[in-house]
Amino acid sequence: MAEAQKVARLREYETVFLVKPDLTDDTVDKVKDRVRTIVNRDGGKFLRFTIWGKKKTMYPVAKQPRAIYIHAHYLGGSVLVAEVERNLRNYDEVSRFMSKRLADDIDPETRQVQEDVKLAGDVDGDNKPFGGAEREDFGRDEYGGDDFGGDLP
Amino acid sequence: MAFKESKKSDRGGDRGERGGDEGDDKGRGRGFARKKVCRFCADKNAKVDYKDQPTLKYFVTERGKIIPRRISGNCALHQRAVAKAIKQSRGLALIPYLVLQG
Repeated sequence: MAEAQKVARLREYETVFLVKPDLTDDTVDKVKDRVRTIVNRDGGKFLRFTIWGKKKTMYPVAKQPRAIYIHAHYLGGSVLVAEVERNLRNYDEVSRFMSKRLADDIDPETRQVQEDVKLAGDVDGDNKPFGGAEREDFGRDEYGGDDFGGDLP
Repeated sequence: MAFKESKKSDRGGDRGERGGDEGDDKGRGRGFARKKVCRFCADKNAKVDYKDQPTLKYFVTERGKIIPRRISGNCALHQRAVAKAIKQSRGLALIPYLVLQG
């Protein structure tokens, strides 16, 4: 009798996507709502959006030097991920996305829906070039003059 | 039988010596480098995460190349994880594919 009710087990996924930096908060909310609706409609459970804010990208993405990063965390199946990605692909504002499976066999009841988080992102003018002073740990003497490093400046 | 056993323990001792005292052997020819520890094995809470750009930055050169295991000191398992994370992170433009220098 105890096994009569079998709960559907879902997988845990996360999708990070980049949207163009000049979008207003309203447009970002629209994209968010779209994804949330798809997940909840197709038998998934949406957990949380984290907006990392406008960040400088390491190379130009969609001809822009920065982008708004959005992180979506949800439960669902593989078909659902394909559907989410198909929709992201159709959005002109979304320039890049990547989905990753975090865990298998999750009971949706054990995961709570969390409130969305919004982070500030980079403050303009505070963009350190890649590889700054904090890299000194990998100085040459630490490795006893290993043969690696011939091409280091 | 006894001979075999003593030989075994001999070898073990040798290995211990090599991993052992730091600094003392430094500069006495090749092969006596400082013992490196995999930072992900040392710290059980540290996870390899493609979203964690500040940590991954330690494992690429200023030019954007992945630092080999013999230098970073990672164990094989974690070096594989780090390499994968760096490649994923590059796709999201968190880590550069290459850095052009003048």
